[in-house]
Amino acid sequence: MDPLLIGTPCEVVEDLSRALGASFAPIPSLADEAGFERWRAGAADEASHERVVVAAWSPQPAPAPLLELDDTHWQQRGEDPLLVWNAALGYAIGRCRDGGALVAVVEAPAALDSAGWVPEAGVAEAVAALTRSLALSEGPRGVRANTVTTPARLTTGAVVDPQPPLTNFPGKLEDEVVGAVRMLLSPEAAGITGCALAADCGRTW
Amino acid sequence: MSADPAPVVLVSGASGGVGRGIALACGQAGWTVWIAARRREAGEAVAAEVDAAGGQGRYVECDVAQHGSVRDALDALKARDGRLDGLVHNATSGLSPKPVRLAETPLAELRDHLAVSFRGSFLLARAAHALLAESRGALLLLTSEAGFEGKALLSPYAGVKAAQRGMARALAREWGPDGIRVNCLAPLAASPAMTRAFELEPAMAGRVLGRNPLGRLGDAVTDIGGAARFLLSEDARYVTGHTLMVDGGSCQVT
Repeated sequence: MDPLLIGTPCEVVEDLSRALGASFAPIPSLADEAGFERWRAGAADEASHERVVVAAWSPQPAPAPLLELDDTHWQQRGEDPLLVWNAALGYAIGRCRDGGALVAVVEAPAALDSAGWVPEAGVAEAVAALTRSLALSEGPRGVRANTVTTPARLTTGAVVDPQPPLTNFPGKLEDEVVGAVRMLLSPEAAGITGCALAADCGRTW
Repeated sequence: MSADPAPVVLVSGASGGVGRGIALACGQAGWTVWIAARRREAGEAVAAEVDAAGGQGRYVECDVAQHGSVRDALDALKARDGRLDGLVHNATSGLSPKPVRLAETPLAELRDHLAVSFRGSFLLARAAHALLAESRGALLLLTSEAGFEGKALLSPYAGVKAAQRGMARALAREWGPDGIRVNCLAPLAASPAMTRAFELEPAMAGRVLGRNPLGRLGDAVTDIGGAARFLLSEDARYVTGHTLMVDGGSCQVT
C-alpha cells in the first residue's frame, strides 16, 4: 500500500507509521513559524501519494477540569493543536494524488468519558469537520477523506458505566486503529468519504 | 435557571445578526440582556431595542478573544445585576464568510477563527462558571451546520464551529454536577454574515436554499431567537450536551 504518514515527530506517531508500513513525513514545530510556513507552502514540490495519513498529535495529555486550565494550558491543549491540524490537513491534501485517499487519525475522548477533556474533545470534533470539508472540496478529483478517532492514549478504561460492548476498550493503535485506517485507505472503501469512524470498541456511536 | 426574578443573560456578538435576534427574543420575554460586543454604538442600539421589546437592555464592551476584556464584562454584569442565568457565545470571526481553501488559509486567519470561536468559548465559559453555578444556569454556544458537515470553501469556519460542539458535549458532562446545562444551537438565518457569504460566492445561495424543505432562511428573532431562548429557559431544564439544529431542515447530518 505504501502510504505516507504526515505526523508529529514523536514515538507514538512514528510507531503508528511503522505499523501502517508508511513513509513518515514529520510536521515541523510551530515554534519556528517561518519554517512552518515554508513547509506548508512546499507541498506541491514534494512527491504525491495515493494514500495519505495525518496524525498531528500533541504530547501525552492528562485529564483536567476546564476550570483548572489557564490561558497557557488552553493554548497548548486547544488552540495550537487545532492550528497545526488545520495546517497539516491542508498540507496533506496537497500531497494526495488524484483518486487517492486521506485518513486523519485523531485522539478523541468518547463522549461518555469526556469530562476533563474539553480542549481535546473540541479538537477532535474539529478535525472530523475539517476532513469532511476536504471530502467536499477534493471529491471532484476523486480524493476520499475520512477520519478515524481513538481514545487509546487518553484512557485505560471507561470512566462511567455502562461499560463498552467490547472488552478490548479502548483499543490499541497498532491493532484496532491501524485496522480502521487500512480499511478506509483500501479500495474496499471506494464509496466512503466524509466519514468519522470511531475505532473505540463500541464506546461511541 | 430560576423562573423568578426575570432571568439575566449575556449574548456575545449581539450588536447585529443572529446575536441581535437572540437578544431581542429574550427581551420580548422581559429578560435582562447584556449585549457584549466590540462595537459600542451598534451594541447600545440593540440594547435600546431590547428595552423597547419589553426587556432590560445593557451594553458592555467585550472582545471575547481577550481574557481581560471577558473578565471585565462579567465583572460589570455581576456588579450591576448580581446574577447570570444564561450566557450565549454567538460572536464569530469577521473572516467567517470568506471563501478559502484550507491549504491556502494564512496562519493569521486561522488564528483569528480560533481566537474568537474556540478561545472565546473557553474564556466566556470559565469566567461565567461561578455565576452560572449559583443560578443553575445555562451556557449556549452558537455553532453551525458547517460544524457537522464541513464546508468545501469555509473549512476553518467549519473547524471551529465543530470544535464548539465537541467542547459543549464534554463540558455538559463536566458541569452537570454543578447544575449548569451546556448546549449548542446551529442556526441558518438571514444575517449580515450570510448576506456577505452569498455576495462572496454567488453559487452558495442555491446550495443553501435548494435543500431547505421550508424554502427560506430563518428569521434571527422569531426563528432563531425563540429557539435560543428555549435552550436558556426552565423549559429546557433537562436538555444538556445537545446541539439543536434550527435550520429549516437543511442539514443532512443530525
